[in-house]
Amino acid sequence: MRKYHLVRRADSQLKRTLIYYAIGILISLTIGAVILISLGINPFEYYGRMFTIGLVGNRYGYKSVEGLLKIFVPLLITSLALSLSFKMRFWNIGGEGEFLIGAICASIVAFNSSGLPNFVTVVLMCLAAMISSGIIGVAIAALKVKFNTNETLMTLMLNYIMLYVIRYIGDTKADWNFFLRKDSERPIFGSFPESAVMQGIHFGKFNLLWSVIIAVILTVIIYIYLKFTKHGYEISVVGDSSSTAKYAGMSVGKIVLRTMFISSALIGLAAALAVSSAGTVSDTITNDVGWTGIIVAWLSKLSVPAVFVTAILISVLQYGCQAAATQYPAIDINFADLLQGIILFSVLVADFAANFRLVKKEEAKNA
Amino acid sequence: MLDVLTLFLFNIIVYNIPLLYGTTGEIMIEKSGSLNLGVEGTMAIGAVAGYLAGAKCDSLLVACLVSFIASGLVGLLFSFLTVTLQANQNVTGLTITTFGVAFYYFIGNALSNSKGGWPTLSGTGLDAQSQAIHIPFISDIPFVGKALFSHGILVYVGILIAILMWFYFNKTVPGLKLRSIGENPAAADSLGVNVAFYKYTHIIVGSGIMGLGGLYMGLNMGGTFEGSNCWINGYGWISIALVIFANWSPAKAILGTLIFGFFNTLRVQNAALAYTFPNTLGWLTKIPSHFFSALPFIITLIVLITSSLTSKGKSGEPQAIGRNYYREDR
Amino acid sequence: MEYAIELKGISKSFGPVAANKNINLALAKGEILALLGENGSGKTTLMNMLSGIYMPDSGSIFIDGKKAQINSPEDSGKLGIGMVHQHFKLVERFTALENIRIGMRGEGRLFHGADVRKKIEDTAAKFGFDIDLDKKVSNMAVSEKQTLEILKVLCYGAKIIILDEPTAVLTVQEIDSLFAVLRKMKEDGHSIIIITHKLNEVMAISDRVAILRHGEYIKTVVTKETNEKELTELMVGRKVDLNIDRPVIEKTLPLLEIRNLTVKSDEGAVAVDHINFYIRGGEILGVAGIAGSGQKELCEAIAGLRPIEEGQMIHEGESIVGMSPKKILDHGISMSFIPEDRLGMGLAPSLSITDNMILKNYNESKGIFVDRKSAREEAQKVIEKLEIVTPSTETPVRRLSGGNVQKVLLGREIKSGPNVLITAYPVRGLDINSSYTIYNILNTEKKKGVGILFVGEDLDVMMSLCDKIMVICHGKLQGVVNSDHTTKEEIGLMMTGTLNIVNKEGKTDGIAKDSAITDEEGKA
Repeated sequence: MRKYHLVRRADSQLKRTLIYYAIGILISLTIGAVILISLGINPFEYYGRMFTIGLVGNRYGYKSVEGLLKIFVPLLITSLALSLSFKMRFWNIGGEGEFLIGAICASIVAFNSSGLPNFVTVVLMCLAAMISSGIIGVAIAALKVKFNTNETLMTLMLNYIMLYVIRYIGDTKADWNFFLRKDSERPIFGSFPESAVMQGIHFGKFNLLWSVIIAVILTVIIYIYLKFTKHGYEISVVGDSSSTAKYAGMSVGKIVLRTMFISSALIGLAAALAVSSAGTVSDTITNDVGWTGIIVAWLSKLSVPAVFVTAILISVLQYGCQAAATQYPAIDINFADLLQGIILFSVLVADFAANFRLVKKEEAKNA
Repeated sequence: MLDVLTLFLFNIIVYNIPLLYGTTGEIMIEKSGSLNLGVEGTMAIGAVAGYLAGAKCDSLLVACLVSFIASGLVGLLFSFLTVTLQANQNVTGLTITTFGVAFYYFIGNALSNSKGGWPTLSGTGLDAQSQAIHIPFISDIPFVGKALFSHGILVYVGILIAILMWFYFNKTVPGLKLRSIGENPAAADSLGVNVAFYKYTHIIVGSGIMGLGGLYMGLNMGGTFEGSNCWINGYGWISIALVIFANWSPAKAILGTLIFGFFNTLRVQNAALAYTFPNTLGWLTKIPSHFFSALPFIITLIVLITSSLTSKGKSGEPQAIGRNYYREDR
Repeated sequence: MEYAIELKGISKSFGPVAANKNINLALAKGEILALLGENGSGKTTLMNMLSGIYMPDSGSIFIDGKKAQINSPEDSGKLGIGMVHQHFKLVERFTALENIRIGMRGEGRLFHGADVRKKIEDTAAKFGFDIDLDKKVSNMAVSEKQTLEILKVLCYGAKIIILDEPTAVLTVQEIDSLFAVLRKMKEDGHSIIIITHKLNEVMAISDRVAILRHGEYIKTVVTKETNEKELTELMVGRKVDLNIDRPVIEKTLPLLEIRNLTVKSDEGAVAVDHINFYIRGGEILGVAGIAGSGQKELCEAIAGLRPIEEGQMIHEGESIVGMSPKKILDHGISMSFIPEDRLGMGLAPSLSITDNMILKNYNESKGIFVDRKSAREEAQKVIEKLEIVTPSTETPVRRLSGGNVQKVLLGREIKSGPNVLITAYPVRGLDINSSYTIYNILNTEKKKGVGILFVGEDLDVMMSLCDKIMVICHGKLQGVVNSDHTTKEEIGLMMTGTLNIVNKEGKTDGIAKDSAITDEEGKA
């Protein structure tokens, strides 16, 4: 007879959860440190360098911040968008695919925008990306609602189909293909005209791109949307219990469609901002945000403020690894992915520990 | 002319058997009711661990054992998180992919930059053992002999695993119990089937099989490590698609591998074919290779949608897939 | 007497609710024992402890005179106990043969011999089962599924067989053949426990009857030495005066009329069978019936959550058939149903009390924002009025204790000011004080002129609280009685299907004299 069994804790305290999470992250960093030591690298120096993203003692420190933000903005928006659908228990793992659709459609506008004012072009790019991604999201949601098609697998397939679409565009020299540079024999993605490149506000040398400001405003809007609006309320109810939602007279199908449109459109927006900030498009433009976004959303338990913080941390991890690579050539960006994985595993364990406790079973008393 | 066709058929098998490993491994896991999206990462870890151990000991057997164990450990991690800790399967699987691929690059880069360098394959005993086996007479049959019976041992093992797995699922008692868990864990539990034990063992074995597929890919690529190109190269994802295409049947997975493999090989060899048969197959060069790359995913998407439109009864999809089982929920 | 099973001092609680209290029960070898008790009397819980799903908090189990530990379904199977659950545990996509083979013991670990099929066929033949072993469960009718379940436990060599309400899903003919099988099993030396509510069945099949009431063991009687009247008395107990107010209000015209309503259950069986009834303003109409007699389906049909097969539902002269749940709500019909798990329907457990308050009317405020300020005030009012114990209005409902959860639900339903209030099991699992709070709330609503349909479990409560009680048995109306002119025994007999007073003595039960439905409409 098993002496112990697990019991779900009746209350879940934020404080305890945070402590367990912190322990989990600490353990992950320790595992990372062991790996570093085995490669003969002093983990304190390395982590020091990583978490300061190469700012310390760097004349071009502002460049580091700009680079970090370029990673941060798409990741933040994608994670928020994914949280929106996950909150409804809709398994949209098609972030990569939706991002690429958005990127392609935004680029179509960008490459054909010569002569248009910058502001107009960027807005048009965003609209094109949001509408195209949103339509795909709605199509998938409709199949799910109507025929209960497995959305996890559908969105997974979408990711790869879109990846090959953009590779095709990038590899095919043809008259119609305005994506590529005309002056190169080899197929290379061209640069956007000036009109399509994201501008920013200059603080000395530091250029704060508008996309960052948009992302921060968007975070606030999504926070308000989820927390205070009727739509947000509906999403919580559908996610919590769709039978209760039906009972309350909500039209669950409509809510799923609407939310998936918003979720996918936001990912499209992230893509538009990313291509505009980069001034070009490529098949690696997603920087894996569709995947990383899922991890960020889950680490944050789908809470908007937590997504904001986690997205910063993951961006620091990734950019810090890149920055540190200049000094430690043996350790590249993959270390960030490795650490990211270990952190998520630890946090999953920590989450369990915070919500369950081991109880000793009392022997059945004989009456 | 015949050479081109022989080579074409030969390549369908040689280059795409890893899909069979990935698919059969994933089928075994999905039959237990778990959806593991970590195929790519599991294969990557099995590949790098198996290859390095095999190169060290100069033995294919060691390579296979180690890759099976290494990937099996990844399976253990997945089972622990999803079965015992009830963590979300999608997130856990995707993280295993991120983690596994990063692990592959990380170890590879670290070794390449180290003093000893990355171990090379050519000329080693490991290389020799994984080369094609010449079966007397059979391998000499014209066309068929070269195309079908001149392969390395891992090709035959892969096909054997698929056949054995089909037999295991459909003819044995544990196979029946496993399928009942994937369909209705509460029913299986009420009949005294140890659900957690079955899930653990089959997720571990399924992951181990994926690891062998990863190892095969590494050996097939000549064991060379490139900093930017993972050996697995998306085959893990195609495997997940193939599971759906094969309707969760290991036997159909063999057929599916050949079909997906056909397009995959067409992508690589379309020029050669078009050149050999300019009149009949000349148009092949007009089709972009990306189309062939995307084809497995497009086909699977179509299969997924059409099978949900038609009756659910025929689909082999385990009914309880993706949901964690918790006895007290009943 | 030699006993196959002896239970001594078994107790089991779920949180604060005691499901079984110090139960002593014995099953003699080779007998059929009927386990009789009202809904919530703890029969299924007790049997689940024998089948290894639950473990008792205290007490001991003896099988064939030896003390036994049952920790899992497997242990139970090894001890020769087989249970046919009320909700079948079958793999839909497998054939009958495959379903049986999953749990076969002692037939080889890896392969089953070629004779397994033969053995199963022999067992089937021995007990006279007519079953196609290669038929998929998904293609089977309910009775076939049940046959399969029984065959399953017989094939596993169970000597002690427990059937949880096996007749609930069967037709009369099917029940007859089931009983024939049970008798054959008995001749073959099997010991059988059958849970049922139908007294005629108890009388027909059992050797002895054990009665549970409110989780307590009452007594075991020999079937031959008893009669339906005595059993009913034992089951429902003597009338207890509860001192619940029943204010008399001047009744208005029928607010809600149900005519010829037929509804199917999730399994496709007829759950509500041509029922007629009406509710007037200012009255509480009780619905009495054994669990699973169609109460849930009836409530869901009225609330627009379940399509109806046949019949009419008229609310204040307007048909509500085919309306969306939202529309019906807007009409002033409010439904609250407390399912067994208490949280399943009507509440979003992770959301706060405030958020649950506005579940049905969040859309009525202007603008895009949810009006949480007034929601919070309302929540505060409801908390005060219903004495809900909670740290704050922002506490997730999941964290509240059962009674408080129910008060939140009922509080919200009343808040919207409905004129027809349908409430099912509102005091399920509540302590006395909380229950009285809820009765008071219902009476307050009644005084306002609201028509209330009260689906309940406890007959004492219903007879004190309700003006009239309508009794259903297996989806059929057995009659409507006036609480002042009936007895517990009468209702008990009606609940078990022994007594039917519909249309007796010229009474047209369930159809109001001043019905808003014309005769022609009624016939349609």
